[in-house]
Amino acid sequence: MRRSLALALVAAMVFGSVQPALAYLKFGVTVGGAQMTLKWAQTPVRYFVTDQGVSGVSATDLQAAAGRAFATWQAVPTASIAYQFAGFTAAAPGRDDGLSTLGFRSRPELDRVLAATSFVVDAATGTLVESDIFFNSAFPWSVAPAGEANRYDFESIALHEIGHLSGLGHSALGETELREGGGRRVLGAEAVMFPIAFVAGSIAGRTLKADDIAGISDLYPDGDFNQALGSISGRVTKDGQPIFGAHVVAFDVARGSVVGTFSLNAQGDFSAGGLSPGPHVLRVEPIDDADVESFFEAARTVDVDFRVGFIDRIVVVPRGGDSGEITLRVVRK
Amino acid sequence: MLVIVPTLDARAARAQSPAAPQPGRFEVAIGSLWTGHQALGSNDANETTSAGGSLTLFSTSSDLASAAGLEGRVGVRLRRRLEADVEASYARPPLRIAISNDFESAAPATATETIRQFTIGAGVVWYPPYRVRRGSRVAPFAMAGGGYLRQLHESAILLETGRFYQFGGGVKYLLASRPTRPLKGLGARLDVRALVRSKGIAFDGGHYTSPAIGASLFVRF
Repeated sequence: MRRSLALALVAAMVFGSVQPALAYLKFGVTVGGAQMTLKWAQTPVRYFVTDQGVSGVSATDLQAAAGRAFATWQAVPTASIAYQFAGFTAAAPGRDDGLSTLGFRSRPELDRVLAATSFVVDAATGTLVESDIFFNSAFPWSVAPAGEANRYDFESIALHEIGHLSGLGHSALGETELREGGGRRVLGAEAVMFPIAFVAGSIAGRTLKADDIAGISDLYPDGDFNQALGSISGRVTKDGQPIFGAHVVAFDVARGSVVGTFSLNAQGDFSAGGLSPGPHVLRVEPIDDADVESFFEAARTVDVDFRVGFIDRIVVVPRGGDSGEITLRVVRK
Repeated sequence: MLVIVPTLDARAARAQSPAAPQPGRFEVAIGSLWTGHQALGSNDANETTSAGGSLTLFSTSSDLASAAGLEGRVGVRLRRRLEADVEASYARPPLRIAISNDFESAAPATATETIRQFTIGAGVVWYPPYRVRRGSRVAPFAMAGGGYLRQLHESAILLETGRFYQFGGGVKYLLASRPTRPLKGLGARLDVRALVRSKGIAFDGGHYTSPAIGASLFVRF
């Protein structure tokens, strides 16, 4: 449950509302009454790393592991975003100093927050001008190539936070179970941007999944992303009425990949982009594997009173286009 | 289906040379082609566990259901026992994806769509050097061929292409024959084939084989 609180911090800092645009959650800001997607206007995004290490992770280790995580996002062939290490700094992350900084801070009071990302936004244009990531040194960390038992893998957590730094919100592609004593344990996740981290010692979060790739490519499209890939769109209804916050999963039967999205407005509209052409199966479920606040502002009323189900038709994603309006009808629990 | 049946002298068929499988050099045929069910494999929607393993969110199993369609063919005799064919077919097989084993116990479901499938190809027909009996109207044959496959999804927004190969055998039965006239014969053909399809709607990149039965009427010139 550690990252779920991390998102709450992020949300408090930047959310106007989530964008009812394409897939995944993207951070939105309101500029002049208009909703804009939060993103960097210029790349490479220059970042600094604090020159303070922690037990088991020196500043050089931190920079190297963060560099690998940045490189993983930058290597997505259908996304144009790039990052550049600008040097070490004595400044701690979280300062409004015009420098995007990654580093450790001791925040023992945040006992379920491994790391958090904050933003500084240009109020006139809605673009990002600074984004800092702090890693909570109250937890044990590791940069060992194979991971270390009982220590959180820095590269995995950095990969997640850099997704936020780039403008991505959380994905709901994961399954969890409640733990005794509170919180949730991840049984499986198919997105680095799932809000809850794997257990300490795991390095399974170092690899981007189809959902992450679709998300970053949607924000920063490159190459033939818009021509070669397609999208699915439609609306989710219950008893004939649109519902907000339903989690829709598109499964590419040929490639075995899953991409998730949500119904994101009062009309119950959803859209998932960056999908490979071909037949897809659509599954719709309520948000029940993480706190709703991990995905949406607390003020939004998310409908979770419906059963998991599938649409009884095959949904075909065209190359460079949209499936056309799909209606997903769910039934009350 | 509209079939033109010319009036011919059936007795002439019995008079044809037993060495010649069928009279005439050219053959035009139209009929139906039934294609059997093709399993397209299974695939799971998986999530990654903390140990790097897989957790199955749900399972799918796909198939292209059996369907009857139309088939046309134009053949030309190259040698005494060898013909070359050009053929085309059209069918609308249902594509089905059965969904089960949902991690959160969603009810099993089947997602479907109807495919519009076109083929165009070529092949050879070979008549073995033996007769069922002297003067018989029946000519057994073996066939093999292949060609190009187009499959259009129901929503007509995505076209899949691939190849098909087929081999099998059957019989042609001469209903009527008039070897000395321009329209030299009328007959029926029945064949059984193994139909191998690659690419097109393929969920694992492999080859899919299914049985097929063709039945047609032909005229020979």
